[in-house]
Amino acid sequence: MTAAEETPFRRFVSEFAASKVAVLGLAVFVVIVLAAIFANWIGPQNPYDLAQLDIMDGRLPPGSASGAGYTYWLGTDDQGRDMLSGMLFGLRISLAVGVGSAIFAACVGTTLGLLAAFFGRRVDTVIMRVVDLQLSFPSILVALMILAVLGKGVMNVVLALVIVEWAGYARNVRAIAMVERKREYIEAAMCLALPWRRIMFGHLLPNCLPPLIVIATQQVARAIALEATLSFLGLGVPITEPSLGLLIANGYQYMLSGKYWISFYPGLALLITIVSINLVGDHLRDVMNPRLKR
Amino acid sequence: MVRSQIAALGILCLSPVCAAGQTLTIASSAPVTSMDPHYHTLTPNESAHGHIFDRLVEQDASGHMIPGLAVSWTLRDEKTWEFHLREATFHDGTPFTAEDVAYTLARVPTVKNSPASFQIYTRAVVATEIVDPHTILLKTATPYPLLPQDLLQVFIIPHKLGPEPATEDFNSGKDTIGTGPFRFISYQPGNRIEMERYDGYWGAKPHWAHVSYRMISNDAARTASLLAGDVDIIEFVPPADLAKLLQDPKVRLSEVVSNRSIYLWLDHSHDGTMPEITGPNGETLPTNPLKDLRVRQALSLAINRAAIVERVMEGAAIPTKQYLPPGNSNHVDDLLPDPFQPERAKALLAEAGYPHGFRIVLHGPNDRYVNDAKIVQAVAQMWQRIGVQTTVDTMPWSSYATRAGKQEFAAFLLGWGVASGEGTNPLRAQIATWNPQRGLGTANRGRYSNPAVDTLLDQAMGTMDQQARNQIVLRTMKLAMDDVPVVMLHLQKNIWATRVGLTYAARVDEDTKATGVTETGR
Repeated sequence: MTAAEETPFRRFVSEFAASKVAVLGLAVFVVIVLAAIFANWIGPQNPYDLAQLDIMDGRLPPGSASGAGYTYWLGTDDQGRDMLSGMLFGLRISLAVGVGSAIFAACVGTTLGLLAAFFGRRVDTVIMRVVDLQLSFPSILVALMILAVLGKGVMNVVLALVIVEWAGYARNVRAIAMVERKREYIEAAMCLALPWRRIMFGHLLPNCLPPLIVIATQQVARAIALEATLSFLGLGVPITEPSLGLLIANGYQYMLSGKYWISFYPGLALLITIVSINLVGDHLRDVMNPRLKR
Repeated sequence: MVRSQIAALGILCLSPVCAAGQTLTIASSAPVTSMDPHYHTLTPNESAHGHIFDRLVEQDASGHMIPGLAVSWTLRDEKTWEFHLREATFHDGTPFTAEDVAYTLARVPTVKNSPASFQIYTRAVVATEIVDPHTILLKTATPYPLLPQDLLQVFIIPHKLGPEPATEDFNSGKDTIGTGPFRFISYQPGNRIEMERYDGYWGAKPHWAHVSYRMISNDAARTASLLAGDVDIIEFVPPADLAKLLQDPKVRLSEVVSNRSIYLWLDHSHDGTMPEITGPNGETLPTNPLKDLRVRQALSLAINRAAIVERVMEGAAIPTKQYLPPGNSNHVDDLLPDPFQPERAKALLAEAGYPHGFRIVLHGPNDRYVNDAKIVQAVAQMWQRIGVQTTVDTMPWSSYATRAGKQEFAAFLLGWGVASGEGTNPLRAQIATWNPQRGLGTANRGRYSNPAVDTLLDQAMGTMDQQARNQIVLRTMKLAMDDVPVVMLHLQKNIWATRVGLTYAARVDEDTKATGVTETGR
């Protein structure tokens, strides 16, 4: 293989790299993911271990020294939780919930979308009417109702987000698959009397993937924002294991009192995370859209 | 410039009421659910209704009983109270007589769809007898020393309203006729009540010609409306804003320690395995550790109440080991808040057979009491330090309230406000052995039971002499609280903020009264 040889993957990489903003977004996102994964080693405190928190260290401004000897670089919240450690651990929850729910929702939504497109008729009608019903409710309202019934907990949040998000995937995948289904290669496969599962997942799915990846990136960002909203409203994660949204909620009542750092830094982290994912997602859409090809 | 505009407005305003006095705008912290004074036993309602209606017995700012529409009351015999009534007139001009008292007591149980009835305060009266227009006898089935305290809650309405006046007619203003210092103008649910001075009021003439009683339940919005000058006084100042308001030269604060205690219930209902308490490694325990007094003491000694008051409550509370604040006649002086002694707590746990502690779930509401979820987290930190591995679970009050009454929680945060300021109220409701038939222990959610306390309490309730009864109540309170039925944390302070130039006589009972707001000049 020579350097001049052009594979689809290489072309994709070079096209993606053409946008400096998108590369920057990806770099930032990778740093955020690494920080979240290695939170135990980067953060000076385990914010989920109540014995490590000291209420007497509550609401200290950034740069204060802790009773245990280290420095609270970003200050502490009202429970004496180091904001830096809290944010790193919170990012971990936010990312896990965001990515996890996006993947689950993608699996469910894609399968149902493919089924609807492949079989058409009654299957299509039933699935798409359920999708219409689902999308006619505001997603935050649906998630609030589900969590009110299920109760708190990370897994329940993931479940609520999957229920909220699968419909978007299903509708998009169905539209793409309807177009692909009329193509010659599917007709050929049908003529060979291949089993429908093989046609659906072996032939149809791979050709629907590029747009699916773009939708998935945007849905991850949406899921992270939705999780933060739910936690802010007190319905997401338990209060002793805060995610970014709950950290913001803990601090917002102190905003007017000048103790800005409790809400500000987690808010900033949330903003940077979502913007970086969206930058990558937007550019992926441009790269993968054949109509925008030069 | 601004002053001349105000002067111009003053000239334009030609009506005598407008020229004679000023408007006071109050921001209350919770919506008033009805203008029917017998519809809902809810502090925000009673606070608003107190402007329009009077009770036979009233409370002064520090919670002592003072004459209201009754000038005096005496015992005729063990089961008959004699109330002497004052000369007063209702807002429509009809004089107030004993007939109105009898009518009110008969009306209270007939209110339809009441979410929390005032019947509990009139139940003791089995018969009334009108002696003359200003004397009435109230008869009870058994000797009942607390009748005046109960009548503290019952607003008097005129008998000419006829049989079974509808709650809607109070909301519309048709039947909203009292003897109080202000008369009703309008009521917009969830928004505001407008009232004007009643010149025929029997007491001191109110300073304010007009009262606008607004309901602003969002804490930040309430503070902001005071700072913006939209309102003159706000109640329930959020602790997070205290530091800022203290420094603001345009604002004045008034505070008093309230009758509202915040404490943790411990489960006494399970003798054997309590599902929410397990061994240090998650193994099932054969017995409930909370039945052991040493464990309960350890859980109390582990708590740094000063830190909670200073850091979580921002000073808007005082540590306590009892339901009533210092200064109250039922406050036990030698019952001091438990000190912060984590080492002794660990020793007590080891002595009780739990050298490595245990696991427990601590529950709390997150929207009911001031900083409730934060207090629960802080307590969990402190219990963790003596080896009690604590899991925190908080939820909204609507789902919490029912679950907390089902004996499924091991430890849970609650508050209790003693509206009457009288010591047998928490003892009867919370500490007495659960016995709904006798109306005892109705709020005993942990199912604490101590026969010695029950006996003393019965003795207190049968003692008609107030001095003697107080002595028994103090002994009962001391005996009960030393046994740690609940882990007492603190008594909240009631805090009001007014614009500079006004002061408020801070009240133990949480009421915000226009008559308590006085102008002091700058």
